[in-house]
This record gives sequence, structure tokens and C-alpha cells, in this order.
Amino acid sequence: MLINSRDHNVQIGEVLKCTLLRGRATFGLFLLVMVAAIALMSGAYAKDQLILGVPLEPPNLDPTSGAAAAVDAVVYGNVFEGLTRITQTGDVAPALAETWDVSPDGLSYIFRLRHGVKFHDGTDFDANDVKYSLERALAPESSNAQKALLSPIHQVDVLDPYSVKLTLSRPSIDLPYYLGWGDAVMVAQESAAKNATNPVGTGPFKYERWRRGDSLILVRNDQYWGAAPKVNSVVFKFIGDPAAAFSSMKAGDIDAFPNYPAPENVAEFESDPNFKVVTGASEGKVILAINNRHSPLNDVLVRRAISHALDKDAIIDGAMFGFGQPIGSHYTRQSPGYIDLVARYPHDIQRGKELLAQAGYPEGFSVSLRLPPRPYARRAGEIVASQLSEIGIDVRIENLEWAQWLDQVFKRHEFDLTIVEHIEPMDFGIYARSDYYFGYENPEFAALVAQYNVEVDANRRTALLRDIQQTLADDAVNGYLLQSARVGIWRADLNGLWIDTPIPANIAAGAYFDGADAAMETDRREAKPDNAFWTIIIPIVVVGLGVLVARSMGVLYLFGRVGSHVGTLLAASVVIFILMQIVPGDPASYMMGLNASPESIIALREQMGLDSPAFVRYFEWLGGVITGHFGISYTYQVPVGELIAERMQVSAPLALMAMIISLLIAIPVGVIAASRRGTAIDTGLNAVMQIGVALPNFWIAMLLIIVFAIQLKWFSAGGFVGWDAGLLAGVKGLFLPALALAAPQAAIIARVLRSSLLDTMNEDYIRTARAKGLSWEAALWRHAVRNALIPVLTIIGLQFPFLLAGGIIIENVFSLPGLGRLVFQAITQRDLMVVQSVVFVLVFAVVTVTFLIDLAYLAVDPRLRGRAQ
Amino acid sequence: MNDQAKVIGTTSNAWHGVSTGFLIGAGLCLLTIFVALLSFIWTPYDVTDLNVTQKLLSPSFAHPFGTDHFGRDVLSMIMVGARNSLAVALVAVIIGAGIGTPLGLLAAARHGMVGEVVMRTNDLIFAFPSLLMAVMITAVFGPGAINAIVAIGIFNIPVFARVARGAAIGLWTREFILSARTAGKSTFLISIQHILPNLLGLLIVQGAIQFALGVVAEAGLSYVGLGAQPPMPSWGRMLAEAQTMIGFAPWLAIFPGFAIMIVVFGFGLVGDGLRDFLDPRIRQER
Repeated sequence: MLINSRDHNVQIGEVLKCTLLRGRATFGLFLLVMVAAIALMSGAYAKDQLILGVPLEPPNLDPTSGAAAAVDAVVYGNVFEGLTRITQTGDVAPALAETWDVSPDGLSYIFRLRHGVKFHDGTDFDANDVKYSLERALAPESSNAQKALLSPIHQVDVLDPYSVKLTLSRPSIDLPYYLGWGDAVMVAQESAAKNATNPVGTGPFKYERWRRGDSLILVRNDQYWGAAPKVNSVVFKFIGDPAAAFSSMKAGDIDAFPNYPAPENVAEFESDPNFKVVTGASEGKVILAINNRHSPLNDVLVRRAISHALDKDAIIDGAMFGFGQPIGSHYTRQSPGYIDLVARYPHDIQRGKELLAQAGYPEGFSVSLRLPPRPYARRAGEIVASQLSEIGIDVRIENLEWAQWLDQVFKRHEFDLTIVEHIEPMDFGIYARSDYYFGYENPEFAALVAQYNVEVDANRRTALLRDIQQTLADDAVNGYLLQSARVGIWRADLNGLWIDTPIPANIAAGAYFDGADAAMETDRREAKPDNAFWTIIIPIVVVGLGVLVARSMGVLYLFGRVGSHVGTLLAASVVIFILMQIVPGDPASYMMGLNASPESIIALREQMGLDSPAFVRYFEWLGGVITGHFGISYTYQVPVGELIAERMQVSAPLALMAMIISLLIAIPVGVIAASRRGTAIDTGLNAVMQIGVALPNFWIAMLLIIVFAIQLKWFSAGGFVGWDAGLLAGVKGLFLPALALAAPQAAIIARVLRSSLLDTMNEDYIRTARAKGLSWEAALWRHAVRNALIPVLTIIGLQFPFLLAGGIIIENVFSLPGLGRLVFQAITQRDLMVVQSVVFVLVFAVVTVTFLIDLAYLAVDPRLRGRAQ
Repeated sequence: MNDQAKVIGTTSNAWHGVSTGFLIGAGLCLLTIFVALLSFIWTPYDVTDLNVTQKLLSPSFAHPFGTDHFGRDVLSMIMVGARNSLAVALVAVIIGAGIGTPLGLLAAARHGMVGEVVMRTNDLIFAFPSLLMAVMITAVFGPGAINAIVAIGIFNIPVFARVARGAAIGLWTREFILSARTAGKSTFLISIQHILPNLLGLLIVQGAIQFALGVVAEAGLSYVGLGAQPPMPSWGRMLAEAQTMIGFAPWLAIFPGFAIMIVVFGFGLVGDGLRDFLDPRIRQER
């Protein structure tokens, strides 16, 4: 026993000596990096780059293939332009078409195109591109979400290279207006197929790079036909979480958040001279949508009772912190022909109860309120639930993810009530569609809309608009809560962004900073991850280990171990795949957005290969995984392997830093606690460790952000600059999240180390050493520490893969583009390809580490070796 | 032998074998349990009552922990939230122990195929990153307290199975088991009558630890919006909602965070104290 132990001791000692020596070098380097990072607090950069925060990441970059407004918010007017454009005041203005004429019968338009316009790839823009773009949008297999608006176009004829004739099947007064929408932008035949990932348009900015989950970069198009943009590049940062939006704005990571998601912080920004608050009108109508198909909500009396129960002022105050105005119908105040119908249903509990009783529900009834994941909806939902309970309606709140909401509420109409913002301007046409999600069916109303669409006379159009609003209010189709205010937070020296948003867009061409020298050029270097190194190293290590084990344990044993781990992996792949199949929600409808037609969703499903049977897809996926091809991400349209590699550049260093920090804390604490056991120091350290284990890491993260990012401004509060900004900047960006992740880890490791040290001190060989006259402390340092590190190494090995994904919440708090956030977003977007592949990679990492630890144990502990044979 | 006393280890007071830590932990646990139970019959204010005019009041005599953005009383919300946290963690532990322990006993009693299959399945569950899978499970079955319990409970199963199997394998070689076997008792009966009672202490300790972890996991799920749904208050969601208001209403973040810390700290101390108390090596030396 004694001999065995000493033997064991020596071997581990050798291994550890090397590790520790190397560890010391790493530690030194790390300290150096930290010091340098702290010294490098304020990186001065030339203000010729505009960094905008946007709440939603677009699923792809082609505005003509889906209805997600997030696409328009990035590319409309920046990368892509249409024949016409919508101005900030909501008017139609010439864009790629300089002028146009409409025939007296309203059945044909002639557009004359601007000369000398080039696409970003250098090709000329001409009439053939117009024909191609419009025919592509109208084709039967097109997944364009606004086909209905463009559907009057019957034929597109090229008259000459710079004029186009559109022949309509029925008059459409608003056609030039609809041609200004993002869905009708001009694309080139050569590049259209790749617009989802590499958009080529005619706009003032060119697509440069998309760091998925984090940001998208556009650079100035020097060939632009119009006024040159004043900034060199525009970066869109995707920040959905209101807290992350606040902290990154405060920390100066972004220049403007044109549509700021957390109204509660506006007062703080107003009082801060570094920022300005810009409030504009939006076309956003927040409604309490009512399923008009469901009893008892199909009774107009019940819907009127609901309208009387709503206290719109309290909702605006409580959910929007005062930013918003009440509306009485599905119509915004700045739109033509607006009539104020707010007083149609004053807040009146008694009247609401009477109406309910009249409808036959004196005791009220119970309904579900299914909410999408935007802050306005979640907050308004709680208030609405409480207000409806006052007239006796019992509301069950169900919070859904966006994909679930689109699938269940929007597509399948499985809801009683929901709250959502409709951002399209003058979109009352949706009330004429009985298949629309709230299911309003009123032939008279549909007739009004049809009449409006063909009416030419301005006065009669206004009258029709009034009737339309009045009908919607009288029928109380939905609860019209408020018109949202578009609150923008801008840096104080930023000018020229849009204040009002008649259409979803962030037009960046006019933006400039006070006193900025726009001529300064920034050089940007593309950093490619060096994968070749790893593809050589990993096989060598694996083969080496295999040979080692095979020699000491026998080939059969090795095969047995490898076999059982491969079995675990296969079983895991089946479990993952089955889980993916039962996830509700359809990736196709997520990508298509709010106004998508069922045909376009089916077309997209076919494109994505979602219509083949499950087991076929399983084997396709598994075959791909084995050969290193994880498939194509549904939402991002790029290989999943690329996405994972990209995210690993954040997650792997983050996990590594967290590990290093936790060891730097844990080892001294654990050793000191053990060597001072029983004293006040030990008790104190123990208490600290206990508390450390008890702290949720996202709470630590919040506290760290408050202190170090918002108050002291030492570190950035969120986002990641990328490694090509330099090693120091990268390490600095990851420091706070790593610290938050490390704190509970450090406490766990310190506790394990402490108890393992105390156990080791009870071992026979320590007693022997003590009997030979070694002092307790000397025995601890000379013999015990090395051996006590073994369980610590095991824990580190096991925790590492978990840290890779376990940062899921931390990555959300700091809005880091890591693996955890990738998979979290992929879950909510139903990008099953990404989810199953990332989970599989993590499981693979865990199984591999377990396997290696098994082998390492066998290698260092001869006692186990005997048992194995 | 003075030196020998030094080897022993942990803080202890005059009580026989019960550490101060354990007493503190037990006190904190009882406090949270009491608060959770009290919330069924009394809270200072009704937590479903939204009163926007009273929003964001700082802590005062009327509202010791202040009010939130809807004018709800934070103390009342924390009291009701305690119910949710404790219930989710408790049921998750019961699921884990209830399924994991028998599996562990089975794997220990039957070497060969059955044991191997049980432990492989165990490893399989272990290999999945737990928080990620919990997020996925709640995404699959919809957010809510019940699904949070299931998601956390599933990952408690392999923990208990491992603990039970590890200790049971050791017990199977002991004389009293051998004598029971020679007396002709079935494996099943031995597992129930002799092995299980000897594992109880260990399982209780593991239970306390998993309970504490469960509270943190529940807070994490609620934080990302997948735990208990409004209007039921939950600590994790309170923290998530507090995040943007931390600059002008820090009490919204501080009190729920403390509540989580107190529960986890308390159960952690109880678990440690029990382990020290039950571990024969430490006890005998004390």
C-alpha cells in the first residue's frame, strides 16, 4: 500500500511539475495581459463609423424573400433601393426611377430610370433588372411577403434600357408607394440568389461582414449615384435585451439606438449630457388582438366590454413609462384622415360589467392571453390581465417565444387574446382578410377597403378612411391600446438619422458626427482562424494517447472503452434528433414574419428540405456530422460548422479565462483554508466559499456591470469587439463575463481543494512523513498539495465543456456572440440544424473529456490498472 | 496528541458534532420555509394587484423592500416567490431521488447487462449540458413552473443514481449483507431492507445540495423567462425585470438576489453540516 502510494505520488508529481511550470508561465502572461488591458482603458477611435443598436437580428439579408421587418431595418435604403422611396415624412419620392406617369385609366405606369446607377458588384442597373426584380417577386414560387400589394401588376415590359412599362390588371393608386417598400427593392439577376447572405444592391452602403449573433457591418459605396454618405461604415449591433441595450448605450459601445427598447431608462439618458433623446412618431399600433372566431369573444358586446375595461393611460404609464399615445382604432394619429375615437370606449368598469351581463356573462369567463417576447407586450400583458379581472374576466398569461407565437397564434390562430405591435403604415387591409389571425369577418368592411383601393378622388378617399376607422372602433374588433412612440437614444454629437419612421428602416446615409473628420480611413484586417494547426495536432494527440493506452492496457480494452463512448454519442445523437422533432414551431414561418402568405411558407419549407421524412433527415445529418459537415443553418443560410467555429472564438477563450480566473482565486483560498483549518481564517474563508457557491452568476454579472461598466466605465458592458481588434481589446471585452462565470466556479474548486487537502493529510504516507519529523505545514506543501490537486483537475476537466455552454445566461447579460447565445437564439428561432449540432458538439466534448479523464486515471493510478485487466 | 486534534478539521462548537454552520444554515432554511408558508395566509399586499400610481417607490415603512414598475410590493412578491422557488427545487429533488435511487440500487445489485445499461443511460444524461437542456425542455413543452420542475428534476436523476450506486456497491461486500444473502433473502429485499437504510444519510446530504442547486437553476430559467409565468412572482424573473431599472431602483435587483443567496447558502450549509455529521471519519476524530 505504502509503495503503491509513493509510486503514485511520484508519477503524479512528475506530471504536475510540468503542468505547474507551464502554469507559471501562463499565469505570468495572463497577468501581463490583464495589466496591459487595464492600462488600455480608453481606446480612441475616429468617429467615422456609426454604430447602431437594433433589437432584432435579421434572419437573412434579402428583404424580398420574407416579411421580417428586421431585414428592412438593416438593409432598406442602405444596401437596397427601390424604384421609389418613402421619405421620413411618409411621402413617395423618386429613387431609382426619376419620374413616372400613370395612364388616365390607372392601368399602366411608365417608370423612367436614373442613368449611371451601378450595383455593388459593378454591373449596371437598367430596365432589365426592374423586369427581373418585379417578376421574381410576383413569381408563383416567390416567397415575397407583400405579393398581395404588388399583385395588380400584370405585366412588366422593357421599353428601352431606361424605361419600363407596368401593365396592371386593376387600378392601384398606391402602387408607387408600395414600390417604395423593402419588399419591392431592385436586385440584379446575377446576384439575387445570394442576397440572403451577401446582399448586392444599389444603395449608399455595401455589405461587408456579418458576425452572426452580434453585428453586421456595411461600408460606404464610393460609386453611389446620390449624395455620398458622411460616415465610412455602419455597424448594426443586435441587442434584444433591454438591459443589455441600456448598459451598452451607457458604456458608449453604440452611438445610437434608434428604437430604444427600455423606456424606463429614458429619463436617465435625458439628464445625461452625453446623450440626446429623440422622440418621433412611429407607425406602431400596439393592440390587444382578440380572436373574433372564439366564443364568447365573437360577441361584439363582449369585445366592447373589454374595450371599456382597458385603462389606456395606465397601460401607457405602466408598460411604456409614458411613451405612447392612446388610439381608438387601427390607425395612427399622423396618418391622413385620422379621427380621434379614443373616447368611443372610456375606461368604465361599471359599463363593462353591464355589457358582459347583457351578453350573458354576468359572472365573467376565463381566457388565455398569449404574449410574444417583446418588453412592451409582456408588460402591457400584466396590466391588461389585471384590468380585465376587474370586470370579471379571468386572464391566464402565457409567455411565448417569437417562433411559438408566429406558429401558434399568428399561423394557427390558437389564442383568445394577444398583444402585438403592427408596424406597417396604413395596414387596415388586414381587417378585410378573414383568414388573418384575429379572424374579423365583415363583408361591409371588406367592401370599404376594396373601394378605397381603387378610389381616385381625394375627398372620397378621406371619407372612406373615416368610415374604415369608425367601423373598426364600433365593432371593437381588437382592443386598440396605444400608438407607440419611437424613442431614440443618440450620442449627443450624432445628427442626421431618421426621427420618424413611416416604414421600418434605419437610413444611415445622412448621419454624421459633430466635428468628425469623415475623410479618415480605418484599416480593417481580416483575421482568419487558423484551423490547420488543430487539424494536425488533435489527431496526433489522439493517436498518441491511443498507443499509450493500448500498450499498457491491451488493445481490446481500448476498443471496449472507445466503443462504449461511441455508443453513448450515437444514443445522444438520437435523443437530440428526437427532441428536435417534437419542438413545436416552424422555422419557415419564423423566417417569413408577420404578413407572410401560406403559399410562401410552403415554398420556403421545400427550399429548406423540411418536407422529407424525419429518419431521412436524421441519417443525412449524422452522415454530415461524421464527415464534419453539420448542414446549413435555416436562419443564417451558412454552414453550421462555420457558425460554431465563429462562436468558439468567443466561447472557448471565455471558458478558458473563467477557468484561469477561478483557479487563481481557488487555489490560494483552498490551500490557506486547509492550512489554517479550524481557525477564524478558515471559518471566514469557508463562509465566503459558501456564499460564492450560493450566488447566481447572472446576479454577479449584474453587479459587475453596475460597478465596473456603468459607474467606473473601466470595461465595456456588453458586446464583443472581435479578436481582430487586438488581443488586449479581446481579453478586456471578455474580462467581466469571465469573472462572473468564474466566481461560483472558484468557490466550488476551493471547497473541493480544501476537503481534498484535509483527506490527503489523513493518508498513510503523510503520517509516515510526519512520523519522520516533518512539520504539518511542510508535509502539506511538499506532499499533500500535489495529490490534492487531482480531484480539482477532474472537476476542471468536467466543468470546461459546461462552461462553454453554461455561459448561456452570462452571454445574454453581456450580449456576447458565444456558443451559448447562438444555441439560445437558435432554440427560440427554431433553427434546429444549429441546435442539434451545437448540442451534439457539447455532448461530444463532455464524452471525450470523460474518456480522457478515465484514461488519465488509469495512467496515473496503477491500482486501477490491475482492476481493469 | 495535541497535533492529532489539529488534523480534524472543521469548525465546531460545544454541541456534540453539530457545527455552527449547520445551525446557521438550518435557521436560514426554516426562515425561508416559514416565509413561504406564511405567504399562503398573509402577505403585506396582494401581488396580483397592479397599482401603477404607486410604481417604483423606494423602500419605506409602508413598503420595506419598495415597489416595482407596476406598483407591486417587492416584499410580498419575494414572499410569494419563495413558495415557487422552494416548491420547484423540492419536487425536482424528489423526482431525482425517487427515480435515481432505485436505478442506482438496481445497478449496484445487478452487475452485467442491467447495471451497465442503467449506468450508460446515466452517463448519457450527464453528458448533456443541463442548463441548455432545461432551456430546451421548457422551450419544447412551454414555459412554466411544472416544466421547470421536470427539466431540473431530470438532471437530478443521474446524480442520485450515481451516489446510490457508488455507496451501495461498497455495502454489498460487507458482512451483514453477506449474511443476509446466505439467509436466502432476494436481492430486491436486501436492497430495500439493508442497503437503502444505510444510504439514507448520504441521500439526504445529496438532497440538500441538489436542492440548493435547484433553486439557482430555477432562478436561471426564470431569468430567461422560462420559469413560473406572470402573475406568479418568481425571483429570477424579478431580477431580469430589475436589470434596466437598476440605475434608479436598485432595490428591485438587490432583494431578490439576496433571497436566492440566503436559500442557497442555507441549504448548502445544512448539506455540509449533515455530511460532516454523518461522515464517520470526521465524527470519530472529533
